[in-house]
Amino acid sequence: MLEIIKPGLETSIQDFPGRVGYWNQGFPPSGPLDSWSFRLANILVGNDAGAPGLEAQFMGPTLKFQQDGVIACTGANMAPKLDGEEIPMWESVAVKAGQTLVMGPALKGARGYFAVAGGIDAPEWLGSASTFHKASVGGLDGNAIKAGQMLPVKAGQGQAGRRVKADCHPQFATDKKWHIEAVAGPNDDWIDAAGHAQFLATDWKLEARSDRTGYRLDGPDWTFTDKATNKPPENGEFPSNIIDHGYPMGGVNLCGQKPIILVNDGPSMGGFIVPYTVPSAAFWKLGQMKPNEFISFNRVSVEEAQALRIELDDLCGENSIE
Amino acid sequence: MIFDEPKFAPGGDRYIRVEFGDEMNLELNFMAQGLAGALGESGTKGLVETAPCFATLLVHYEPREISYGDMVTELKSLIASLGSSDEIEMNSRLFTFETLYLDPWTKECIDDYREKLNPDKEYDPDFVARLNGLEDRHQLVRVHSGTEYWVASLGFWPGLPFLQPLDPRAMITCPKYNPPRTWTPQGTVAMGGSASAIYPVATPGGYQLFGRTPVPIWDTTKRFDVFQGDIVLFQPGDRIKFQPVTREVYDDAERKIADGSYIYNIIEYQKFSVRNYKEWIGKLDTSERF
Repeated sequence: MLEIIKPGLETSIQDFPGRVGYWNQGFPPSGPLDSWSFRLANILVGNDAGAPGLEAQFMGPTLKFQQDGVIACTGANMAPKLDGEEIPMWESVAVKAGQTLVMGPALKGARGYFAVAGGIDAPEWLGSASTFHKASVGGLDGNAIKAGQMLPVKAGQGQAGRRVKADCHPQFATDKKWHIEAVAGPNDDWIDAAGHAQFLATDWKLEARSDRTGYRLDGPDWTFTDKATNKPPENGEFPSNIIDHGYPMGGVNLCGQKPIILVNDGPSMGGFIVPYTVPSAAFWKLGQMKPNEFISFNRVSVEEAQALRIELDDLCGENSIE
Repeated sequence: MIFDEPKFAPGGDRYIRVEFGDEMNLELNFMAQGLAGALGESGTKGLVETAPCFATLLVHYEPREISYGDMVTELKSLIASLGSSDEIEMNSRLFTFETLYLDPWTKECIDDYREKLNPDKEYDPDFVARLNGLEDRHQLVRVHSGTEYWVASLGFWPGLPFLQPLDPRAMITCPKYNPPRTWTPQGTVAMGGSASAIYPVATPGGYQLFGRTPVPIWDTTKRFDVFQGDIVLFQPGDRIKFQPVTREVYDDAERKIADGSYIYNIIEYQKFSVRNYKEWIGKLDTSERF
């Protein structure tokens, strides 16, 4: 058991890849935004890469251990301390019953991850323990963790002192500017050449009103092709309106003139175009950026995006451990 | 228009969007759902899931198992083997819901909106009736309840069905709220554009409101058998019938839902044949109104 002393900010139980397979009923997958850091935390403590762990946003939780075990902290640097002593990140650490782990504010990056050997024992909803708090599904009770809750832990065989190799975990941008891949489509033909050039040339500012459903970007207005301005009326009145269609996760969804990147808890469909899509291999960067930081998009092909995903998946395994 | 050849476009590294046309036309949704069904049965390696919408199908695949190009080739060959949309037959369950049209709860919601956001907002049933050349709100109830609805897709909120009337004589349209509402009662029956919907829970929204059903279409507590394998009642390709009832019948259904004795009215033995459907609408005088 893990006792929650302080919950941190919207700290939630997540697993990977989450609640996949229910997009046609409007269910998002949820799961960790930075699945690279999340999976490595699990690998460090000897779990399956996708086992249920915690995702903390901007401010980490304080946890008291009711039993001996092995833990790992990855992702944003929340300067984890065990009974007041700083412990290393990206490394498995032995804990004793009665000890307290404090994860503080994120010093670098935005989302911290916590894994415990065995994994958190949370009930599965539609095949996943991931919390989707908008609909009160997943986690212990459908919501973020709360002070006073006891999180059950499954039996595990962790080993302390396992470390992620220095070049096998994510490095977070230090100049507040993130280079994020984007694949053109599915509605890239609604944007004119000037609009595409501007999308790639702009440093888009991440707005504070961004969360696990969507990342709102501040930047210049978009310009459109004839397809957007001269279309059957059922598409809607604005250039970026389209007959409601299914959204890809990662879609850069153009709501009026406002681009919103749809992430893990986002909507499955709607009536706005998606000129670009952020591929899965770049999601960890979204997960680690903070509001008021900037995104510069790099256009990549579908094949390049897929190669990046395979490369990333390969990093989320035993061969990244020393 | 309905495209001669569907269009394919990538959505990042793991999605393909198949577009069958660019108009609101049930035929396009039949094609999307027909392809989703065929793809599911094909055992195509690397397929993760599909999500049909009005005129498109989103295909989610695993790039480690199949390339974009190979998935498009597979989709083209399935579309060719489906032939004309007339050949599509789908399992389709029929749900009947007790519905109190012109109910006090959506009226209260509209009144609240008028008070706080837009004093000029016309009462929704009167507004929709007027826009569609109907006599009054009571004819709107007759027309809206006079057809089975087709679950074209689900989204906006988990389990929220986007419904198209199968009987063209019941086709009506209306704009959405501007600005949107901050709340909508759970179970509200509403429409925007040409789509109707049921609100699974209380959420903000923009559709015009004119009825309410007490029957849950979403349940995380699994109090009813229909939610044993799922939290959400509907799947694309289901059909829904709104049965106008009195306040007494509504209250009775609500009581039974509260004590767990309510029995869902679901018919599961039917297949939906696009050919039969088209033959039927071909015989109708679509200018008639109920």
